[in-house]
Amino acid sequence: MKIYSYVCKMQILRSMTYKFNVYGNIIMQTIIMLTTSFFWKALYQNAETVQGVEIGSMLTYTVISSCISVILTTNVEQRITRSVEKGTIAVDLMRPVNIFAVFFAEDLGNVVALLFQNLLPIIFIGCIFIQVPLLASGASVLMFLISLCLAFFINWLLAAIFGMWAFTAINMHALLQVKRHLIRLLSGSMIPLWFFPEWLRIVLEAFPFVYLYQLPLSIYIGKCDGMSLIRGITIQLVWLAVLSFIFYILQKRAARKVMIQGG
Amino acid sequence: MIEVKNICKSYNVIQKGEGFRGALKGLISRESEKVQAVKNLSFHIQPGEIVGFIGPNGAGKSTTIKMMSGILTPSSGEILINGRDIHKYRKQVVQDIGVVFGQRSQLDWDLRLGESFELLRHIYRIDKAKYEETLNIMDQILEIKPLLSKPVRQMSLGQRVKGDLVAAMLHAPSVLFLDEPTIGLDVGAKYSLRKFVKEVNEERNTTVILTTHDLGDIEQLCDRIIIINNGELIEDGNLEEIVDRIAPYKTLVVEYYDEKAPEHARCELFFHEANVAKYRFMKKDITAAALIQALSAEAQIKDVSIEEAGIDDIIRIAYGQLKE
Repeated sequence: MKIYSYVCKMQILRSMTYKFNVYGNIIMQTIIMLTTSFFWKALYQNAETVQGVEIGSMLTYTVISSCISVILTTNVEQRITRSVEKGTIAVDLMRPVNIFAVFFAEDLGNVVALLFQNLLPIIFIGCIFIQVPLLASGASVLMFLISLCLAFFINWLLAAIFGMWAFTAINMHALLQVKRHLIRLLSGSMIPLWFFPEWLRIVLEAFPFVYLYQLPLSIYIGKCDGMSLIRGITIQLVWLAVLSFIFYILQKRAARKVMIQGG
Repeated sequence: MIEVKNICKSYNVIQKGEGFRGALKGLISRESEKVQAVKNLSFHIQPGEIVGFIGPNGAGKSTTIKMMSGILTPSSGEILINGRDIHKYRKQVVQDIGVVFGQRSQLDWDLRLGESFELLRHIYRIDKAKYEETLNIMDQILEIKPLLSKPVRQMSLGQRVKGDLVAAMLHAPSVLFLDEPTIGLDVGAKYSLRKFVKEVNEERNTTVILTTHDLGDIEQLCDRIIIINNGELIEDGNLEEIVDRIAPYKTLVVEYYDEKAPEHARCELFFHEANVAKYRFMKKDITAAALIQALSAEAQIKDVSIEEAGIDDIIRIAYGQLKE
């Protein structure tokens, strides 16, 4: 454990080295937040509430969605792809550590660094230009945090399982983009699923993506409580268990198939 | 003690057609071909040996080293290091192994050298006092301390290799693998690398296995060489014995006063240009003195020198580029 906490600490240091990535993400998130908020304002011009949600809640949803996207940043897929491409995966594999635990520690370190470099500026910009994202009720703060934590793990496992392909497929850059944008669309991070057609909503609720963004967001704005909240968190736990199992099975085989490029 | 038993390694290599058509075709169907990088390799290495792995590019040296250091898994066969199978007990066994790749670094590009070492100290669970002690010893051999506060990305190749050598020795492994460590290094850096290998071998009895294309490395460091070609073992043994067996000849270089070079029945005139001639003779056929005497009877000699068959001859013969 001590090893991995040190890896995490070093990653925080390393993340501080490159500043431009960080600014890029702030700008991107600001653009997404602003355009989405204009979209909601236009939509709500002739209506007080849509599907039982007020404009204020929708703007809060938008700001918090950007915040969650910072917390759900993963690097593991790129980390594996790049290491396999450059052949530095050899260095990862020659050390007396579990490489996936190292990848997790690195991602955790990254997110901690992003809390200061990205999350704070985004909240600040959101508060000034859009709306102060107030919690629906004080009681939901705990449920929101629990749900967000579960979302973090589910998201990381998805990324890690996906990233294992890179051990054999090698060039994954295009696929990584596809995955990123699919999650954006299908998780309700921009447009909540209650605006989607009924059948699509039911289909999407069977996938893990909705539980990354929409569930914690709904808890935050107070749209999800009582039975639906319990149901949501339970499904999150089920996905966590299923993905952990798949991850465990695959990671044993993944490193065996590794190809070392160059020399 | 390292035991390598019948290891094989094959890769699936995807075949791509040429040009635009091939690229398009590759999108739909891909043919893969199985390439055997290492075929049925077996050998033993005793503690404290320095073994040189040589062979042409693509012979399977690096693949073998990577299997021995737990990075790649063999398709079949087993590798025991100090009695334990490296692929079953990877995490425990690699604790006792150090690896340096000349072509890639295990140091962290974004951190200072000292921070990289500190990370390794945690990964290998080295206690602070032991770490300081090793660092002091390494400093005496490689003068590493002035580099500790330098970011790795700003280091020269020579400095980086020094850093990598120290990084590989921090946890005091009993086996050290060096994969083309001298590649691209200048004379001074090569010298300190060789000094380093000799000292860790003598003082700590570290077993060293190195691959190299630099014959100087082999002549100065290795007692034993293993020659690999096309993934197969060609020679394994003491350096001098192999030289005596594969190339039991010497070369006599004679400079005459005129351009006529006489021949002799017991040797072969294999080079003749202007007034310089080179004769190759077997040690058992004739002595150098007798040969010089016979030649000087036929033509007037200005100067002579004798060349022993060197390791480069051995390698050329073993690689099959020179017929005996």
